[in-house]
Parts: sequence; C-alpha cells; structure tokens
Amino acid sequence: MSYLGKMRGSAAGSPPRVSNAEVLWSWVGGLLGIGAVGLLNDLLFRGTDFVLLIAPFGASAVLLFGAVRSPLAQPRNLIGGHLIAALVGVIAYQLLPGVPWLAAALAAATTIALMHLTRTLHPPGGATALTAVIGSDQIHQLGYWFVLVPVGLGALILLGVALLVNNLAANRRYPETWL
Amino acid sequence: MSAPRSPVTAAAAELELSAEDVYEAMARLPGYLDISVADFQEVYRLALDHALDRLFGGRRARDLMHPDLVTVAPSETLDVAARRMAEAELKSVPVADAGGRVVGMLSEADYLVRLGAKTFLELLVRFMEEGEALQHRCHETPVSAIMTAPAVTLAGDADFWAILAVFRAHAVRRVPVVDAEGRLLGVLARKDFIHACGLEARG
Repeated sequence: MSYLGKMRGSAAGSPPRVSNAEVLWSWVGGLLGIGAVGLLNDLLFRGTDFVLLIAPFGASAVLLFGAVRSPLAQPRNLIGGHLIAALVGVIAYQLLPGVPWLAAALAAATTIALMHLTRTLHPPGGATALTAVIGSDQIHQLGYWFVLVPVGLGALILLGVALLVNNLAANRRYPETWL
Repeated sequence: MSAPRSPVTAAAAELELSAEDVYEAMARLPGYLDISVADFQEVYRLALDHALDRLFGGRRARDLMHPDLVTVAPSETLDVAARRMAEAELKSVPVADAGGRVVGMLSEADYLVRLGAKTFLELLVRFMEEGEALQHRCHETPVSAIMTAPAVTLAGDADFWAILAVFRAHAVRRVPVVDAEGRLLGVLARKDFIHACGLEARG
C-alpha cells in the first residue's frame, strides 16, 4: 500500500454505535468515578499542598467506563500506565525545567515507549506525563510525591469505582484481565 | 493493510468474513469494542491460518497412504490386468515399470473408454451382445495403450495443502505416492484423506 494510499483508511469503517443502555452506564460510571476523585479531593486535600483531581483522570474515565473491554482500560494499564507516566514526567521536569517544550516532548515520547515495553499502554498516561511538566506550580512543588498523590491514589480510586459500577451492569464485566 | 496470504488462507477462502459480517457481530455484542472492523478481519484471517495449520499442517502423504503395492506392468494385456484388479477389489491401480517407477494409472474408466462404453451397464449390455469381440480386444491390447499417463503423483512428504491441491485439481480417487525416483510407496485414497482430516463432518 502506498504512503498516500494509507491515508485513505479502510472502507470497512469503525465499530457500531452502542445501545442507549450502554450510553447510560458509561455516563453513570463517569459521574461516579470522577465524582469520587473530586469529592475526596475536596474532603481530604482542601487547604493542603496536595491535589487529587487532575485532567488525565477524565481521559481514564472514558476508557474505564466507555470502553470497558478495551485492553487499554484494564487495571494493569490504568495503574501501570499512570505510575510510569508520572515518574517520567517528574524526571523530565526536574532535568529540563528551563526548556518546557523539550521536557514535555521527551516526557510524552518516553512514556509511550515505556508503556509499550511494560505492556501498560494507557493513553491518559500521555496526559499525566504532560501534567507533570506543564502543570501548575502546585504540581511542580509536589516533586516525586506527584507519582503517589494525585496519580497513584487517584488511579486506585478510579479502579475501585470501575470494579463496583461496571459489574452492576448485566452486560458489563470488569476487568477482562488483571495482569 | 493486508498481511501476506499463505496458501492456508487461500485454500480456506470460503471462510472469509466480510466487513458487514464483522460489523453485524460487533453490533450484537454490548459495549464498545476498541478495534476497527478491518483490524478484526485481519486478526480473524491470521487466527484461521494458525488454526488450519494446527489441525492439518502436520499431515504427510506418507502417513495417510495405504501401503498396498498392487501394480500392473505397462506391457501386460488388459485381461490380465483386469483379473488382478478384480481380485484385489481395486477400481484403479498404478502402472509401474520394471524398476518400480510409476508411469501411469489404470482405472475402470480407462477400460470403459477403450471398450467404447460410457457406463458399466452399457458395457454389460455390449458384452452380452458382442462378448467375443470385446474379449479379443482386451486380450490383444497392452495396459500402456489405455492407461492415464503421466500419472498424477504425490511425494511422500507432501503436506496437507499439497494433497488438497492435487485432489482439487484432478478428478481422481486414488493417487500413487512416490519417492524421489518416482518409485511407488503406496496409494493415497481421497476418502482416507478426507476421513483422516475429519473433513466430512465439517460439511
């Protein structure tokens, strides 16, 4: 297939739209998942240096509640991907604090590569790595704590909600696989 | 993005899934499937490839053949050859030269053609009407004059796909299996091959 021919895509198309019941379960899951992380953020960390709710968890919620069966949404990927991404992001920021564009690019690229190597590919990890680099001063001041809180703890909370909520639905099962 | 097609998949082209088949199947599963229709087709093809190879890949002609070595010589006359085939209850036999090399195949159909009949019953009728003449013709004609030559043969280590290709390409029920020099090792019957591979149960 030619270089330009590849850009046309395949005629076979994308997967079908899901049923309304699925849409509702995805909505409920997203509401409870992000709600739990956000509420704990307010209850536990208001007035402290810590934060729990960061943007990458929105992306994780899409996978955990919108594409439950996806290999990208499994616990190994959710937890492993976020932890690796957070560590890489913090290291990149510490090494190149004065060149944010380069630190951001290296963080995202290295995160993808390491997630591949460890079979923990989880797209929101890319956002986590970027957050560590271009995040607020509050994030920067966390240093390596960023890996544990918000990233590790938040991902664990999302995992718990995914286990509790997805398995309520008759047509859902989570996870497909743990490791 | 089609992966290279092996002879395995080509042989199983009937089992191909269309994009619509896959789409309809996906629509019946609840939940969002994180795979494109084209990728699923690709996975299916490769998996089918692998499964067919696992089921049939190890079969060799040598393991499936019947080691019966009933043969006739090219110089024998038709009546002698027919007697030997009848005794062995065979509808076709390999024709082998003095060195054991397969030079042709002699079958009931060859006799019918030679004796000018399209079916066995037509031959029977003709035999009742002009038996002497037919008997004479069988007595004076050598096997080499009516045999099918060269014979369709299989090497001893021919695999499932080579065997399948031969039975697809030629309307023969029995194929001689030969060594590198063309000497007879045994005969592979189509029904034994089909039975050994469990194909009859698959429709």
